Amino acid sequence: MRTLVAIVVAQALGLSVMAAPAVYAADQQDSAKIAELKKQLADLTEELEDLTTRVSKNERHSATDRIVLSGDFRVKAHSLHYQNVTWNPAIAVNFSDFGMRAMAGEYGNPMDANSPLGKMMTANPDLAMAFQSGMLQGVMPYVLANPETQDIDNDLLYTTRLRLNLKAKVWDNVDFAGRLSMYKNWGDSTGVQVFDSWRSFSMDGTNSGNTSGDWLRVERAYFDWRDIGGSPFYLSIGRRPSTYGPPSQYRENELRGGTPSGHLVNFNFDGLTLGYKLGELLDVEGMVVRFCYGQGFESQWGNGELFGDTVTKDTHLGGFNIDVINDGNHFLQLTLFGAKDINDGFKGTIAFPNQLASIFAPTMYQDLQKFDSFNFVTRVQPSGVIGDMYLGGIGYAYESDDEQKFFASFGWTQTNGNGNAGMFGGMLSDAVFTAELNADGTEIIMSPATADDDSSHNGYGVYVGMQIPAPYGKVGLEYNYGSKYWTPFTQAQDDPIGSKLATRGHVVEGYYIFDVNPKMFIKLAGLYYDYDYTGSGTPVGAPQKVSDVIAGRAYSLLPVVDKAYDVNASLTVNF
Amino acid sequence: MMKTKLQLGVVLLAALFAVGATAAEGGNPKKGKHLYKKECKVCHSKSDAAGEITPMSKTMAQWDRFFDKDKHGAKPEVFEKLSEQDIKDIQQFLYDHAVDSAQPQTCG
Repeated sequence: MRTLVAIVVAQALGLSVMAAPAVYAADQQDSAKIAELKKQLADLTEELEDLTTRVSKNERHSATDRIVLSGDFRVKAHSLHYQNVTWNPAIAVNFSDFGMRAMAGEYGNPMDANSPLGKMMTANPDLAMAFQSGMLQGVMPYVLANPETQDIDNDLLYTTRLRLNLKAKVWDNVDFAGRLSMYKNWGDSTGVQVFDSWRSFSMDGTNSGNTSGDWLRVERAYFDWRDIGGSPFYLSIGRRPSTYGPPSQYRENELRGGTPSGHLVNFNFDGLTLGYKLGELLDVEGMVVRFCYGQGFESQWGNGELFGDTVTKDTHLGGFNIDVINDGNHFLQLTLFGAKDINDGFKGTIAFPNQLASIFAPTMYQDLQKFDSFNFVTRVQPSGVIGDMYLGGIGYAYESDDEQKFFASFGWTQTNGNGNAGMFGGMLSDAVFTAELNADGTEIIMSPATADDDSSHNGYGVYVGMQIPAPYGKVGLEYNYGSKYWTPFTQAQDDPIGSKLATRGHVVEGYYIFDVNPKMFIKLAGLYYDYDYTGSGTPVGAPQKVSDVIAGRAYSLLPVVDKAYDVNASLTVNF
Repeated sequence: MMKTKLQLGVVLLAALFAVGATAAEGGNPKKGKHLYKKECKVCHSKSDAAGEITPMSKTMAQWDRFFDKDKHGAKPEVFEKLSEQDIKDIQQFLYDHAVDSAQPQTCG
């Protein structure tokens, strides 16, 4: 037994002696590993501390940075060409009324050269002759200037548009959205244009689509309050997202840019939307019913004369805007709304054209001639209510899985004139002028008395188009037509010749979009306008056949364009 | 030399075709939407235990990370049964509609 123990001890000792270097090496390795791990841990701790500091900074930043800013920037070069631009101004005068008043002596003694009538006869001998020989009876045009027709080429017009989108999460179910935009033509920040058409009017509803200088204007500012009380209702109030609505977003190469149909409305409105996500109830994707209300004109505040001498009325709009389906492939929208108490214009600013001064303000024109390149800038306001309007439309767009897009939209407008008229006319009617004495009884002036027509007029418009993938981008083709009385609210569409969708006539557009990268694209486009009737984009004034104006059979206080084309190239950067 | 030229040509061609590149090269967002509804919503709808997932649950970069690195790590078999193309389509759809992507400019 002793021997056995001895052997075991000896073996153990022997073994341990033999194993000693190995154990020593293992210890050494472990210590090295531990040291290494300690170092790694220290590094990691250091890294973690650094990360914690950086994450805390980010956390603090994101918690305090309450607005998300994004935007887009577009530079565009246009070549604009207008054909048969005709100016043939005249006003319709009630000569029978004039004769009656003249006979009653209201305008003074015709034999006295210093009487108002005598002065008028001396200034207009041909007119006096025609009147005396009985050629002027009833309501007839009083021609104001010799007709002029010319072609106009604006070979290069550059514009820059900057839009900054603001988004803020107010609460779990409340968001704020805003858009600040600047849209200018190069080298001009006056904010006003010479009033040669309704397009060139600087005013609230169209400032975002009309070049108005280097000012950043609030195009949109509203909140969305969703799932009110857990229901599918939502409420949104403010300056509305009412521009670039469907299907006009395809040509803009952007997502749906506004709520209402872009074929009927492309106009900045202040108002509210009460919506109901009916799709959640009926299981139809994207189905939303909206009631929209807005005010397009404020008649009293800041308006009228010194003592609130207001003759206009507030313009209120209301109606329904229904997305029947919006599932990414199919989009069907119904729109119906009315505008009550439309006035013969808006509040806005214009640079007064000197040619109109020579006709309507001869005394002032005497002085203005000394400054023939000066235009006085003036704030204008409408002169009265001319009637009500209704607008309706149905639009459908199909987007295939491989990005082929097709759309068709039909629009209807109805105007109900009330017989009133301002200088440029009544609701789709012309003004009939009456001769009156001015305030001190020294001069006869012509004042718009009534509209020549107070009947209702229906207009309609169609808009069809497609966009299909092409090498490095997409190509698109669009066509739209508007009838004689077609009067949509699309004046903020930023086509320099005028909103193409408001055209009373035909417009064809073809374009190619080159997608430089997902955030940048180049668009090359050509638009051809063929106007059938005058007054596109305004409910004021009777539409005249353009060919009649050119032939001298019809008249217009503002120049009339026959055909026009716009070739343009743009580069847009989204950020 | 010939080889260098060829390489250069390939690089240029690749650069040319890289134009229009999106999150998942070759992903079709519209098809992705159908697949998302079919494959993802079954487990990720409002009251599901797996939790509701919408495109707006993540940012664009977070979706890319999810598809490139995580690959549905919590339940990898979900991705394994889908084809590579289907996954690309879903990724593109989620990326296009992520919380920091461009959204329609409407009031709902």
